[in-house]
Amino acid sequence: MGGINITGPEILWELPESIPLIGGQPITETMRNAWIVMLFIFLLCVFLTHRMEKVPKGKQALAEKAVMMIDNLVDGTMGPGCRSFSPYIATLLMFSFCGSLASLFFMRPVTGDLNTTLGWALITFVLITFNKIKYNGIGGYLKGFLEPVFVMAPLNVLSEVATPVAMSFRHFGNIAGGLVISTLLMAAMGALSDLILGFLPVPLLQIGLPGILSLYFDVFTSAMQAFIFSMLTMAYVGDARSS
Amino acid sequence: MGNVLPFVGFTPWEIIVTICNTLITFLVIKKFLFKPVRKMMAAREEEVQTMYTAAEKAQTEAEQLRSEYTERLSKAKEEAAEIVGSATRRATVRSEEILKESSQQAAAMMKKAESTIEQERKKAMNELKDEVASLSVMIASKVVERDVNEADHERFIEDFIDKVG
Repeated sequence: MGGINITGPEILWELPESIPLIGGQPITETMRNAWIVMLFIFLLCVFLTHRMEKVPKGKQALAEKAVMMIDNLVDGTMGPGCRSFSPYIATLLMFSFCGSLASLFFMRPVTGDLNTTLGWALITFVLITFNKIKYNGIGGYLKGFLEPVFVMAPLNVLSEVATPVAMSFRHFGNIAGGLVISTLLMAAMGALSDLILGFLPVPLLQIGLPGILSLYFDVFTSAMQAFIFSMLTMAYVGDARSS
Repeated sequence: MGNVLPFVGFTPWEIIVTICNTLITFLVIKKFLFKPVRKMMAAREEEVQTMYTAAEKAQTEAEQLRSEYTERLSKAKEEAAEIVGSATRRATVRSEEILKESSQQAAAMMKKAESTIEQERKKAMNELKDEVASLSVMIASKVVERDVNEADHERFIEDFIDKVG
C-alpha cells in the first residue's frame, strides 16, 4: 500500500553547529507547531483581557469565567490555598487542548509527540516531589517509600516513576492513536473511492466518515486528554501537599 | 519528505524545549490572563464592598435619624401636654384666686357700706335730736312765754330726750 506514511515529526531545520551547547539540534515540526500554539494563546490572552472594564461583557466575561472555573477546579481538587497553581493548570489545559486541536488546522498535533507530553509529565513529577519534600521533609519523603512495609520500597519507587510515564503515554497515545486512525481511514477511503468511484476526479468517500470520526478523535479526545492531564496533575500535587 | 524523527521517540532536546515552552506559556498566561482578570475582580470586589459599607452606613444614619426624630416628636408631645396641663392648672388657680378676691372685696364693700349706713343713721339721729331739742326749746319758750336761759333749757330737754330714748 503506497501513500500511507506514518512518521514522527519532521525535522525542519537544524541549528548551526557554531552555536555552543545546542548546535546541531533539530527544530522539529512539533516545536514549530508549539510556537504557533503559544503565539495563539498569547494573542488570545491579550485579546480577552484587552480594555477591561468594571462591568464585564463579552470577551471579558469569558476571561473571568475561565479564570473562575479554573480557580474553582483547583480549589475543588487541591483544596483551598492552592490558587497559585491556577495559572499552571490553565497553561496545561490551554496548551494541551490547543496543541491537540492543531490537527484541525492541518498541523501535526503538538501532543502527538511523546517528548511534549513527557516534558509536561516531568514538570508534574518535579512538582509532586518538590511538594512532598516541602510538606514532609526529606526524611518523611524517603520514609514514604517504606510504607506500609519496607519490602514495598521497590514497588513504591516504581509507582512513583510510573506516574509521569503513565501520564505522558496516556496523553501521547490518545492523540497519536487518533492521528494514526485518521490517516489510515483517509487512505482507506481514498482507496475505496478509487475502486468503486474511480471515474470521479476527487476521492468522494473521503468526505463524511473521516470528518465525523475526527470529531471524536480530534475534538473530543483533545478536550478529554487536556482535562485528564490537568486533573491528574492537580490530584497528584494536591495529594503531595496534604499527605 | 525530509528527515523525520521516529514516531515514538525520546529526545531530551525536545523535552527541554517543551519545558521551556511551557514555562513561557505559563508566564504569558499568568501575566496576560490571570493578573489582569484577578486585578479587575479584586477591584470590583472592593468597589462592591465600598458600596455595601456606604449603604450600611447610610442605613444606620437613617435609622439613627428616625429614632432621633421619633424621640424628639414624643418629647414635643409630652412638652405640649405639660404646657397645656400647667396652663390649665394655673388658670384654675387664678380663677379661684379671682373668685376669692372678688368675694373678699364684696364682703369688704358690704361691711363698709354697712358701717357707712350706721354712721349716717347715727348722724341723722343726732341731727334729729338737735332739731328736736331746738324745736322743743322754741315750743317751750313759746308756751312758757318767758325767757328762760336757753342753755339750761337745752340741758333739761336733753335730759328729757335721753329719758324718752
